[in-house]
Amino acid sequence: MIASIVIGVAIFGYAAWALVRFINRSKQGKCAACELNKSCSGGCSVPPEINR
Amino acid sequence: MFTSLKAGEKGKIVDISHVGNLVKRRLLDLGITEGSEICVKCVMPFGGPIMIESCGQCVGIRRKEAVQIEVERI
Amino acid sequence: MEIALIGNPNTGKTSLFNNLTGSYEYVGNWSGVTVEKKVGVFKNNIGRLIDLPGVYTLNPLSRDEGVVTSFFLNDSVDRLLNILDASQLERNLHLTMQLLEFEKPLLIGLNMIDVASQRGIMIDAKKLSEKLGVPVVPVVARSGKGCDQLVDTISTKSFTPVKKNLVNYGVEVEKAIADLSQELAGKTEHSKRFLAIQYFEGNEYVKNYVTQIVDGEKLQAISAKLEESIKKSYEVKTLPNFIYMKRKAAIETIIAETTSRRDGVVPLSEKIDSIVTNKYLGMPIFLLLMYLMFMLTFDWLGTPMSDALDGLLTGPVASGIENALTAVHASAFIHALIIEGLVAGVGGVLVFVPQIFILFFFISLLEDSGYMARVALVMDRIMESVGLNGKAFIPMMIGFGCNVPGIMAARTIETPRERLLTILLTPLMSCSARLPVYALFVGAFFAAHKAFIVLSLYVLGIVVALILAKLFSSTMLKSQTSLFVIELPPYRLPQFQSLWRSTWDKGKGFVRKAGTFIFAGSVFIWILSYAGPGGLKVEMDDSFLAAIGGVIAPILAPIGFGTWQAAASLITGFLAKEAIISTMNIIYFVPSDSSLQGLLANYYTPLAAYSFMVFILLYIPCLATTATIYKETGSKKWTAFAIGYALVIAYVLSLIIYQGGKLFGLV
Repeated sequence: MIASIVIGVAIFGYAAWALVRFINRSKQGKCAACELNKSCSGGCSVPPEINR
Repeated sequence: MFTSLKAGEKGKIVDISHVGNLVKRRLLDLGITEGSEICVKCVMPFGGPIMIESCGQCVGIRRKEAVQIEVERI
Repeated sequence: MEIALIGNPNTGKTSLFNNLTGSYEYVGNWSGVTVEKKVGVFKNNIGRLIDLPGVYTLNPLSRDEGVVTSFFLNDSVDRLLNILDASQLERNLHLTMQLLEFEKPLLIGLNMIDVASQRGIMIDAKKLSEKLGVPVVPVVARSGKGCDQLVDTISTKSFTPVKKNLVNYGVEVEKAIADLSQELAGKTEHSKRFLAIQYFEGNEYVKNYVTQIVDGEKLQAISAKLEESIKKSYEVKTLPNFIYMKRKAAIETIIAETTSRRDGVVPLSEKIDSIVTNKYLGMPIFLLLMYLMFMLTFDWLGTPMSDALDGLLTGPVASGIENALTAVHASAFIHALIIEGLVAGVGGVLVFVPQIFILFFFISLLEDSGYMARVALVMDRIMESVGLNGKAFIPMMIGFGCNVPGIMAARTIETPRERLLTILLTPLMSCSARLPVYALFVGAFFAAHKAFIVLSLYVLGIVVALILAKLFSSTMLKSQTSLFVIELPPYRLPQFQSLWRSTWDKGKGFVRKAGTFIFAGSVFIWILSYAGPGGLKVEMDDSFLAAIGGVIAPILAPIGFGTWQAAASLITGFLAKEAIISTMNIIYFVPSDSSLQGLLANYYTPLAAYSFMVFILLYIPCLATTATIYKETGSKKWTAFAIGYALVIAYVLSLIIYQGGKLFGLV
């Protein structure tokens, strides 16, 4: 029974955390959410004047 | 006119002023301007782009821009 | 210390960046791989290195180039590291001259000396350094040769330019530069000479910048007067052209004194080019290569590997977990959660890892070899006829891996209209996350023609994109201006190591996503299918998931799959396309002895299956793609449009295929 509770809490806890993080990252779009880019620490900088 | 050259023939650009500004600028960036020696590498079918070589680099441009470039054969 | 990497496109800046920082950023063999600013830390911790998109001059034409100019004007940087392509020294030096005018400490990395010497170009780096007044270090970025010396030079030498005003622009221009500098005096920290020359060259970004700090009309007057007098005294057409010629003359003198030429060998490139960009063979060769890629991915290599992995997961792994659960006396709920939820959901996606990696390997091969730019050339005629240009094909090809970087890559397209069109249409390219759906369905329904059916979907995506491009460009996005000038880089033999890194870098995201999002999604979906209005452990048809799916299902009935199961998996697919597969695995959960593929035959006819695949291909960009479209277009309207048109076109096409197919007696 204890094992069930531990496993259950671990799975649901991790799932909730992963889901929230994924959706947040996806909303940032760009590299953050994608397969191709791990490090975009420079921030995908599109200067304002570019988006004319 | 550019298109008078066949694939493999060489020429020298005499006048590029009739080409649109954007294309002219881009070609200038690539070092292609009046006086540059160019060689036609190949011509795509159905009025497609042509591939030219200048100073060891290959560049693709559209046929309709190419015809506006005055070239003399050498 | 901040050091910015700057140079012409495709001169190996990112290769060098990876070498110096020990990180891995995306590299490829065409112009415009890097479209944004990227920051990394030097291996020996001496400072931060900033990778910038490649530019020919600081006067930008396209958006990725604008990133650089705007970086120069708005960010502070301590040192510039200018990478030159030794085999194209003359063109590269035009940028160097402008950088020297910027009057920041500058160091030159002379890259591709190996390529240059093959072509018979010998450059005296020492003499070049003397002439330019800054250190010059020869490197081969691809192999890492010379990088240590480069780092040494960066960290030890101070390299403030010793020479001022390398280019003399003539009396009139120099006078005007002085006038303009006087106007700017005390109002900016940037080099006034640099600003003045860029202003005269018509640099819009600089114009914006200086008119913010001083009266624009005064500057305009100086510029107009200068242009007048230049035109009068010299035979030139425009002021920018005059400045260019002066620069060119100065560069030619430098080149003459520092390089020597002898006859080199004819590069391999030309021989290959005569075949792949051949008049008639170009297009068929492209299609043949694509076909080979799909045969390997789905038939010859990928499927057997996936099947083996599937056997491993559903067999030993599942039973191992089952035994472990029994051993710890887990409750029936936990048991079901892990076996029917997680193993089915996550495992169902992981099975496709081999196929995804094979596909990514081929995409990396295309990117690294130099074929990408050739495809753009070959496709230009078709693209032009629909109001796009050949360059738009590159973002689309990248979109086959993942739509997000594909959309980013559209920055290299110079004209705003064509760029917007490309952004809107790239989501129609079938990304790797959609591949598991095809793999599952072709395995179940079209076993004999796997590769052909999948190829037909990819081609359908391209064809629909082209038709819509024609439609949009002749209605909403009308404009005549189009620009197509593309640099065709020499072919390179891809190195196995860099190919593997590139493949792994793309593929690991898929694996990581399986462990994070798919894991979480599987738990969530399973709970929804386990619980219902009637309580826990209900029959699946009475679950919450069935209720949610049931709302949409009737709409989907005319296109062949009006089941709540299909509807539910489509909803999860908006978050990430892989989720479609994990949802189906959970919904159609079967004990290990029979497979999902076999079970699907009870729910779909082959025709409905094809209609379903077409719908998946087109129906909606995933959440990350949608967010990227919004960031890149900066417009809610266009983002909503991208989602809306996709839904409509997917429904219409699926309807035509399903109803049309039924008329012709297909099932």
